Amino acid sequence: MSTLSLTPSRSLVAADLVKLHRRRGLVAVTALLTVGAMTITYGIIELLHVASPATHGPAGGIVNLGHGAWVASALGAVAAAIVGSMAGVGDLEAGVYRDLVVTGRSRLALYRSRLRGGLVFLLPFVAAGYALAGVASVLFADGHPVPSVSLLVTTGLWALLQVTFYYLLAFGIACVVGSRSYTIGVLLGFRLALTPILASISAIGIVRELIPGVALQGLTPAALGDAAQQGPTIPMSTAAIAAVLVVWALAAVVAGAWRDTRRDA
Amino acid sequence: MCTLGAGPYRRGMTTHLHEVPLDRDDLVVETRSLTKRFGGRTAVDGVDLRVPRGVAFGYLGPNGAGKTTLIRMLLGLTTASAGEMRLLGLPLPQSRAEALAHVGAIVEEPRFHGHLSGRENLEIVAAVRGGGAYRLIDDSLERVGLTARARDRVGTYSLGMRQRLGIARCLLADPELLILDEPMNGLDPAGIQEFRGFVRSFVEEGRTIVLSSHLLDEVEKTCDHVAIVDRGRVVVQGSIAELRDDGDPTVLVETRDPVAAAGLLAGHPAVARVTADGPAVHAVLTDLAVVPELNRLLVGAGQDVLRLEPAQASLEDRFLEITTRLENAA
Repeated sequence: MSTLSLTPSRSLVAADLVKLHRRRGLVAVTALLTVGAMTITYGIIELLHVASPATHGPAGGIVNLGHGAWVASALGAVAAAIVGSMAGVGDLEAGVYRDLVVTGRSRLALYRSRLRGGLVFLLPFVAAGYALAGVASVLFADGHPVPSVSLLVTTGLWALLQVTFYYLLAFGIACVVGSRSYTIGVLLGFRLALTPILASISAIGIVRELIPGVALQGLTPAALGDAAQQGPTIPMSTAAIAAVLVVWALAAVVAGAWRDTRRDA
Repeated sequence: MCTLGAGPYRRGMTTHLHEVPLDRDDLVVETRSLTKRFGGRTAVDGVDLRVPRGVAFGYLGPNGAGKTTLIRMLLGLTTASAGEMRLLGLPLPQSRAEALAHVGAIVEEPRFHGHLSGRENLEIVAAVRGGGAYRLIDDSLERVGLTARARDRVGTYSLGMRQRLGIARCLLADPELLILDEPMNGLDPAGIQEFRGFVRSFVEEGRTIVLSSHLLDEVEKTCDHVAIVDRGRVVVQGSIAELRDDGDPTVLVETRDPVAAAGLLAGHPAVARVTADGPAVHAVLTDLAVVPELNRLLVGAGQDVLRLEPAQASLEDRFLEITTRLENAA
């Protein structure tokens, strides 16, 4: 594992990356939720189209890119919760956190390294999954409007932003609560169940705009139409969206760092 | 020198058996009034500990005496409620990183990522330590005899192998000081013997070992110096030889009727404690000058005295003597 003989901070990240890559179950689940999900989604749509072109449209085109982006962001958020919580408390749960602390290396440096290592692990899977969606949306368009390069890029960035955001939440929350299972449960409940319910209750007014899922939906590329939407879109300025996302992510990461540097190891 | 006899010893006082002043450079661990409280419970109670350089130092006490808590404070795993600490002459927590760069430690049982190989686990710690740690991996594995299994997953290792891998992990720091918390726990006799060999070889290399344990026998066999801790307090510390010698004098008496002899001796006011051990009777005295008088007492009572000689107290004898006094003083 010669990658570990790099500069100190890069070798730390490489070490954290190794911990994640060697977990076969984690690699399999992450690949399934990203590349696998996209392969299955586009594969089924295209097979149905080939079998019965009259009743099933092609797998490509802008609309199906929107569906693909939705799958990438929704299942990517699940992968983010799993990877983020593992990166956050994998050392703690394995009982080796204290052995890293007693090396004298600052806890904050260990925290930063785990944070970066998890992202370096996760994002290539998400990018690969989305790349499949992008390629499929062009190759299988079969006469439907083909997404432009600009739309492909912005949609991809939107999907990566969603996954990165939920990764940061998962990482921070895991470090605060010190448990993977609680983190995954809380985050998925919040993302998949609570967010759509709260977003649909107009009576709570501006509070809806503070929900990160609502803010992220506000960033959905307009050209995708409703295909990438989950629930109603609430009009928000870009500055307000950015503020909501930054505050949530910062709060989670700072709280995680605070807890991590003060816990009895 | 302070005796552990009936006179000066009392709860709340740490007895340094060998009061030769040590320069701060000669101490690898030094604590003053170190205290750790968990709510209303005091786990470590004003500990003054001084560990000289280049020895195997046993931190001996029953379970729950505060041994692990003290070690965790020294290693920065938990904060102290009060008091001062120095590690390798450096103040803690101010110089924690600098001090710990030269310290290897195993706290409680050695833990690893079970899904990684032994070598990968060491590579991760080497990455965290930085410097030349990576280059020490092969030597460390060889030193503990794990080269052949280095590429196997740690999840397949026995406890003894994990303990050895823990030692290898410590060696990545090329440590001046190794702190080992209950390292013999769970090891079979062969593992214990092997571990003892590691400790002695590290001491011969000039490293200092601090070894916490509740196993008196192991500390006596492995260590040169000892601190005895009881309910969060260090009650005595010094070399093991001094500790053995500084207790109340003990004589070994052998007669044809040890039960009767023990009864006679127990009735004498200068005999603090009598224990029968087969044909021999161990009598702990308050004053060695009464030995001729005890001989006359036995002979006068018709006992055939076959043996009457000073006995070397074991660490266990001293430990019991001290803790008995503590109980009585409380």
